[in-house]
Amino acid sequence: MTTAALPQVPGTRDPRVSRTSRVTRFAGSPVLRLVVKRLLMAIPIMLGVTVLTFWVLSLIPGNAAQQLLGPEATPEQVAQLEEQLGLNRPGYVRYGEWLRGAVTGDLGRSIVSNQPVSDLLGERLPVTGELVLLAFVVSLVLAVPVALLAAHRPGGVWDRISMVVSTAGLSVANYVLALILVLVFAVQLGVLPAIGFTPLSEGLWPNVRSLILPSAAIGLPLFCFYARFLRGDLVDQMQQEEYVTTARAKGVGSWQVLIRHAFRNSSFGLITVVGLNLGALIGGTVIIEQIFALPGIGQMLLQAINTRDFIMVQAVVVVFALVAVVANLVVDLLYAVLDPRIRYGSR
Amino acid sequence: MAVAETPISVTDHPGVEHEHEEAPARRGRWRRSLGVAVPGGMVALIVAACFLGPVLFDLPSPVGGNILESYLPAFSPGHLLGTDPNGNDILSRLLYGGRASLFIALAVNVLGLVVGGTLGALSGYLGGVVDTVIMRVLDVLIAFPSLVLTLAVAQALGPSMRNTIFALAFFSIPAFARVARSAVLRLREMPFMAAAQLCGTPAWRVLFKHLAPNTAPQLITFGMLGMGIVIIIEGALSFLGLGIPDPAPSWGNMVATGQLSLSATPMLVVWPSLALLVTVLSFNLLGENLRARWSGR
Amino acid sequence: MSGKQRTATYPVGDSYVSEGVIAAASSGPAAPGPAGEPGEPLLVVEDLRVQFTRGGRRINAVNGLSYELLPGSMMAIIGESGSGKSVSSRALMGLLPPTATITGSVSFAGRELIGMPEREMRELRGGDIAMVFQDPARSLNPTMKIGAQVTEAIRLHSDSDRKGAHARAIELLRMVRLPAPERRFHEYPHQLSGGMRQRVMIAIALAGEPRLLIADEATTALDVTTQAQIMELLVELQQRLGMAVVMISHDLGLAASYAQDVVVMYAGRAVEHAPTATLFGNVRMPYTRALLGAIPALEREPHSLFEVTPGQPPDLSALPKGCPFRPRCPNALDRCVEMPPFREHEPEHWWACWNPVGDETGNGEQE
Ligand SMILES: Nc1ncnc2c1ncn2[C@@H]1O[C@H](COP(=O)(O)OP(=O)(O)O)[C@@H](O)[C@H]1O
Ligand code: SF4
Ligand SMILES: [Mg+2]
Repeated sequence: MTTAALPQVPGTRDPRVSRTSRVTRFAGSPVLRLVVKRLLMAIPIMLGVTVLTFWVLSLIPGNAAQQLLGPEATPEQVAQLEEQLGLNRPGYVRYGEWLRGAVTGDLGRSIVSNQPVSDLLGERLPVTGELVLLAFVVSLVLAVPVALLAAHRPGGVWDRISMVVSTAGLSVANYVLALILVLVFAVQLGVLPAIGFTPLSEGLWPNVRSLILPSAAIGLPLFCFYARFLRGDLVDQMQQEEYVTTARAKGVGSWQVLIRHAFRNSSFGLITVVGLNLGALIGGTVIIEQIFALPGIGQMLLQAINTRDFIMVQAVVVVFALVAVVANLVVDLLYAVLDPRIRYGSR
Repeated sequence: MAVAETPISVTDHPGVEHEHEEAPARRGRWRRSLGVAVPGGMVALIVAACFLGPVLFDLPSPVGGNILESYLPAFSPGHLLGTDPNGNDILSRLLYGGRASLFIALAVNVLGLVVGGTLGALSGYLGGVVDTVIMRVLDVLIAFPSLVLTLAVAQALGPSMRNTIFALAFFSIPAFARVARSAVLRLREMPFMAAAQLCGTPAWRVLFKHLAPNTAPQLITFGMLGMGIVIIIEGALSFLGLGIPDPAPSWGNMVATGQLSLSATPMLVVWPSLALLVTVLSFNLLGENLRARWSGR
Repeated sequence: MSGKQRTATYPVGDSYVSEGVIAAASSGPAAPGPAGEPGEPLLVVEDLRVQFTRGGRRINAVNGLSYELLPGSMMAIIGESGSGKSVSSRALMGLLPPTATITGSVSFAGRELIGMPEREMRELRGGDIAMVFQDPARSLNPTMKIGAQVTEAIRLHSDSDRKGAHARAIELLRMVRLPAPERRFHEYPHQLSGGMRQRVMIAIALAGEPRLLIADEATTALDVTTQAQIMELLVELQQRLGMAVVMISHDLGLAASYAQDVVVMYAGRAVEHAPTATLFGNVRMPYTRALLGAIPALEREPHSLFEVTPGQPPDLSALPKGCPFRPRCPNALDRCVEMPPFREHEPEHWWACWNPVGDETGNGEQE
C-alpha cells in the first residue's frame, strides 16, 4: 500500500476504512438507521389512523346489525344480533380486541359476510394493485420524455404546449375524465370495454384491455403532474447548478447535459414525489373502481362503509395507510441506494 | 455564483439597438399581468354567473321540473341547455350547483385557513411538546387516505352541505397548518425577530405583526389552488351520493345522474364536466400565475 | 478603445504537445519572462458587452471590455465581486443563459467566438478552451463517479475507446497529482477534499488539451495551503503544456505572485492593464490604488482579501454617465462625467482615467 505514505488531506476518509467488513459497516450504516427510524415513526401513525377510523365509524348512525336486518327489523331483533356480533360492547374494548389480532397479523372476519378479511383482501388487492401499477408505469413512461423535451428549451414551443396540456390535465377531475374516456372509447368508438374486469387467468390482453380506461383515468392527471414537476426540477438544475456549467464547458451537447447530468440529479426529486403520491393515488382508486365496476379494494371500501362493516373498513384503511408508509420507506431506501452521498453516509 | 435565476424570460437577439430601451421589459410585465388578469376575470365571471345569473335572467327553478319536459335538447325554448331526466333546466342546475360548489370550496378554505393556520402557527411558534403533538396528529391526518376519511365522515354526518364542508375540512386543515407552520419557522429566523427581542417587544406580537403581510401571498396562492382541489373532491362526494343530497343540484351529482344515460344523452355529463373543468382550471391558473408572479420578485 | 497593439515579450510554448514539453522558461512566476519572439495574440477581446434582461430590468454586467492574451502566458483579471469577471469569461465560451445579450468581438486563434454556431462552439469548449470554476463542491456532478466525469471529457474530444479513455484519465489524474488515482477514479466527488476536487476539475479541463485555460476564482474556496498548491500546479502545467491561463481573482496578492500580466476590471470594463511588475510598480488608476491601498504593500499577508474600497459598487442597471468610478473616486474631476478612453498611455501600460495617480491635476486647472 503506497497510499499510507501520502499526506492525508483533511475531510477524506482513510482509504483503509472501506476495507472493513461489510457486516459491521451495514450495522452502523446510515441506511439501516434510516429504516429503523422510519419504522418507529410509522407505529404511532398507524395507531392514530386506526383509532381515528374506529372513532369516526362509531359516529355513523346505525350499525352492521341494523344494516343486515333491514329497516323492518324490531329493536329486539337488532339488539340480539348486536349481542351476537359483539357490537354492543364499548368501542375501546372492540378496538383493543381488533388491535390484539392485528398485531399478530389477524385482521378478523367481515361482520357482514363472516369471511376472513385476509381472504377478501387477497381477492381484491391484486386488482387495485394492477390498476395502480399500470397507471404509474404509463404516466412515468410518458412524463419523462415530455419533461425532457420541455426542459430542453424553457419557454420554447414544446414547453408551452406541455404547460398548457398539463395545466388542463391537472384541472380535470378523474371521475370526469373517466366518463369522457368511456364516452369516447367505449360508447362512440366501441374499441374498449366500458366497465368490468377480466382477470389475468383469461389472458394477458383481455386483462390489460379491461384496465386501459380506468388506468388512463388515473394515470393522465398523474402524467401531467410528474411531467410538470420533472420539467421544473430539470430547469432548476440546468439554470442553477454549477455542475451543469462544468458539463457544458467540457463540450457536452445540450441533450446530453440534460439527460446524462441534469436528469440523473432530478430523478431523486421525482422519486420522492412518486412515493409521496402513492398514498393519495390509492385513495383516488375508490371512485374509479366504482365507475368501472372493478372488484378492487376501493369498491370494497364503499360497500363496507355502506353496510357499516367496521372490520372491513378498518382493514382497507390499514392497507391504504400501510401503502403510504411503505412507499415513503421505499423512497428513502431508493435514495440510499441511488444517491452516492447517502450511500456513503456523508449527508 | 449562480448564473441564472430567472426561468423564462423574454430575450431579444444580440445586436438589438438601444433605442427601444423599454420595449421587452414592458412586454414581459404586460404578459405577466395578463396571466393573472385572464384567469382572475374567468373566476369573477363564473362567480357572477352563479350568484347573479339566475336572478338576472329569471331562469326556471333547478328542481321540481315538469317530467313531461325531460330530456329536452339544448336550445329548446326556455331551456338554453335543455333539460335533465326530471325535466329540470340544465343551465339553472349548473348555476345553482356552481353556487353550492363555490360556497363549499370557500367555506372549506376559510375553515382550513382559520383552524389549520392557527394550529400551524401555534405549533411553529410554541415549538416543543405542543409542536410535536400537533405535528403528529397532522401526520396521522396526512397518512390517512383523505378520501376514505372524508367518505366516512360524510357517511357519518349524512349528506348535506354543512356536513360536506366539515368532511372536506379534513383535507384543508392539515395542509394550511403545514404552510403556516413553515412560515412561522422561517419568520422566527429573520433578523427583525432578534432586533425585536433586543427592544423587549414580546416575540408573539412581532410575529403576529409580520405574519399576515409575510405569508399572505403564499396563503392566497395556496388558497386558489385549494379552491380547485376542494371543488373536485366535493364533486366526487356528490358523485358518490355523499355530498349535496339529490334533488338539490351539484356538479358532482349531475355527472352521476348523467352517467346513467351516458350513451343516449352524453350532454348531461358533458355540461357539468365542462363547468367543473373550466372553474377548476381558472382557479389553478390564477394560483399558478400568482405564485409565478410573487416568486419572480 | 480598439485596435490596440502590444509587443510581446513572453515565452511562447509553440504548439501544444501532450506532455513533457517545457516551455523555454519564464523564471520566477511573478516577473515577465525574458525576451522571446513576438507572437500573434491567442485571444483578442474587443469591446465586449453583456447585458442581462431580468424581470423587466437590464443589468449591464460587461460594458466594453477589451484585452489581449498571448499564447502560453498567464494573465490575471482582478476586480471587486460583481465587476463582470465571471460573466465576461463565460460569455466568450458561450456559457451564459439565454437572458444574456452579448455584443462585441472575441477572437480566439483568429476565429470569432461571438455569434459562433453552437455546434462549432461545442468543439472549442473543453477542447481548445477549458474552464475551472470557483466552487469545486458544486462544480462536479454529485451523482457521477470521478472517473466517468473525466472520461466523458476525454471521449468528447478524442476518438479513444473506453480503455484508452480510462488510461488517459488515470494519466491526467496523476498529472494533477491526485493521490491514488486508480482508487479515486471509482469514487464520488463528496468523498474527496476540496483541494482534490479542484485537481479533478483541472484534470477534466486538461482532457481536451486546451490552448487556453480560464480559472475562475479556482482557489477562492480553498484554504491557504491548498490554494498555493493548486496555483503552483496551474503554473507548472501552464509552462509544461504551453497553454495560456487566464486566472480570475479578486485577490491582488495572488495575481501579483503568479501572473505575468494583470487586467483590472471595474463595472464591466478593463480600467488598467499592464505587465505585473509595471502595474504594481506604477499604479495609475485611482481604483487600482484604492484596491492596493487597503493593504500595506509588502507586509501584507499573501492572499488576504482586500478590504472593500469606500463607497458602493455601482448599480449595473443604472450606471452613472462617464467614468463609473466617479462617485467613489478621490481624484474625480468635472471632466469625469465623460467616459475616459482606455488607452496605452505608456508603453505596455493601459488605463482609462482623466486624472491618473502620479500626475494629478486639481479641478480648477482643468477648465
Ligand atoms: N444570469 C444573470 N442574470 C442577471 N444578472 C447576472 C447574471 N449573472 C451575473 N449577473 C450580474 O452580473 C454582474 C457581474 O457578475 P460577475 O461577472 O459574476 O461578477 P464577478 O466579477 O464577481 O465574477 C453581477 O452584478 C451579477 O449580479
Ligand atoms: S476618470 Fe475621473 S473618476 Fe474615473 S477614475 Fe479617473 S479620476 Fe477617477
Ligand atoms: Mg465571479
